[in-house]
Amino acid sequence: MSSSNRKIKRHGFSVRFVHWTVAISTFLLIFSGFGQLPLYKRYMVDQLPLLGWTSNFGVTLMIHYIAAIALSFAVVYHIVFHVIRKEYDILPKRGDFKESVQIIMAMLGKGEEPENDKYLAEQRLAYAFIGVSLLLILVTGHIKVLKNLQTVTFPDSILGLATTLHNVATFMVLFGIIGHLAAFIFKENRALLPGIFTGEIDEEYAKKRHSKWYNRLNKQDRFNISG
Amino acid sequence: MGEISRREFIKRGIAAGVAGGVALSGIKTAEAATGEPIGTLIDLTKCDGCKGQKVPACVTACRDENKDKFPEPIENIGDYWPQKKHEDWSDKRHLTNRLTPYNWTFVQNVKVQHNGKEVEVSIPRRCMHCDNPPCANLCPFSAQEKKPEGPVVIDPNICFGGAKCRSVCPWGIPARQAGVGLYLKVAPKFAGGGVMYKCDLCYDRISQGKLPACVEACPKGAIQFGPKKKMLKQAKEKAKAINGYIYGEKENGGTSTFYVSPVPFEKIHKHLMAQKAKQKNPKAPGFPGMPVGVGNFLDTPNGVAAGMLIAPVAGAFAAGYAAVKTMKGEKK
Repeated sequence: MSSSNRKIKRHGFSVRFVHWTVAISTFLLIFSGFGQLPLYKRYMVDQLPLLGWTSNFGVTLMIHYIAAIALSFAVVYHIVFHVIRKEYDILPKRGDFKESVQIIMAMLGKGEEPENDKYLAEQRLAYAFIGVSLLLILVTGHIKVLKNLQTVTFPDSILGLATTLHNVATFMVLFGIIGHLAAFIFKENRALLPGIFTGEIDEEYAKKRHSKWYNRLNKQDRFNISG
Repeated sequence: MGEISRREFIKRGIAAGVAGGVALSGIKTAEAATGEPIGTLIDLTKCDGCKGQKVPACVTACRDENKDKFPEPIENIGDYWPQKKHEDWSDKRHLTNRLTPYNWTFVQNVKVQHNGKEVEVSIPRRCMHCDNPPCANLCPFSAQEKKPEGPVVIDPNICFGGAKCRSVCPWGIPARQAGVGLYLKVAPKFAGGGVMYKCDLCYDRISQGKLPACVEACPKGAIQFGPKKKMLKQAKEKAKAINGYIYGEKENGGTSTFYVSPVPFEKIHKHLMAQKAKQKNPKAPGFPGMPVGVGNFLDTPNGVAAGMLIAPVAGAFAAGYAAVKTMKGEKK
């Protein structure tokens, strides 16, 4: 078998589970959240086939709550899992802004791309941005859930702040997702896509584009190569 | 020295108002002026809708008291794009027979058969000031607040006029006026619909130690104002004495407004719905029924709220298990 067909393990089950739980729950949260604004009656989305339920606040609020349960579970799972395993490859490093520019310029055919670790510099920055946005949305969302309980009251100033930050964080997450998906406009990044579905990426690609990570794995002998 | 916080000022004012209300309504109690939650008792055996008068006294007083808060919309109000309509009551300011942005209380009249007799009942209607108001809790911009003393108050400077508060209110109380408010400064064609208006139990007045305008104006003493617990106790005593019925104690999970009626509210509700069905536009807001035992919109979501608090803990345990398991596998 030629080495070009060999695969290398990039993500385990936990990483893929967290990624897709966050992705699906966030999509549901954004969709149901916009329904709470309210939006779907005004824009007559509820008149489209099969979408009559979208203007029912009872339905969209329940979707919002259930998706928030999934998101809370996944985010805490993610933090605890990687802290125990001491895996911090995705956290931003000094010089990531400069390096991101370098990588993007290289993809546009200007200059050399730096040697990359497991994640590209812009991936680390995007992770931090989306991560902070999600934490903000979770904390403020929990405050909003608690205040709905009959026995819980918050000062108006805290509720006003939580509401505003929740709304601002929604747009931060939206921009983050758009940026995340826009990365795949570049052909060079597309070889990473299978990793989040199957957990594996092409070994040749890893060797070439993520050489720091590849070499480290090589030294640690932690390859999990399948043909 | 001598300075007090705004909240303390309001608290003291309301305590003084409650004491005043207690004095005026003949209730004598030492507990009145403690700043505890306040409420109202609407005695339907006393209210006659100000028979003979064109407009009931409570309605006139409310309109007069709040006239400066009524909306003054822009000319040529735009539609709620992509819809070809907008909600404008500014040319119907004269209406006193329903709730509008210019009329925050009104009196409904029904004739109900009960125990073989026809009983005429007049019912002053306005915001019930619920204990756990879905209108305030679910406002996407936190434009509504449940004050510690009980009144639920809309901030017209924050309200975007999406009217969700009206949709989640069992009585559809808040009334919307387009062409006014914050949305005009953002993207009036595409987002927002105006400002919502409703009774705030004369929060400014009661903060200054005065009675709500409707309470003060009622010539029959049919609307009483005082500590909520006391109002409920009075309502129960009155209901027992007349073998009557209470509305507002359990509805929407509890409110600050207690109606006492000599006839069952189920019958009143049925007649109100029949009246509404006969109106020119039966779907028009501002003519609430009195559904008995109506639940709170938040009952179901609050039932799953515990899941949201447990989820992070469950996530931590699951992650701990998964991390240790995978690390053991890697060591082998």
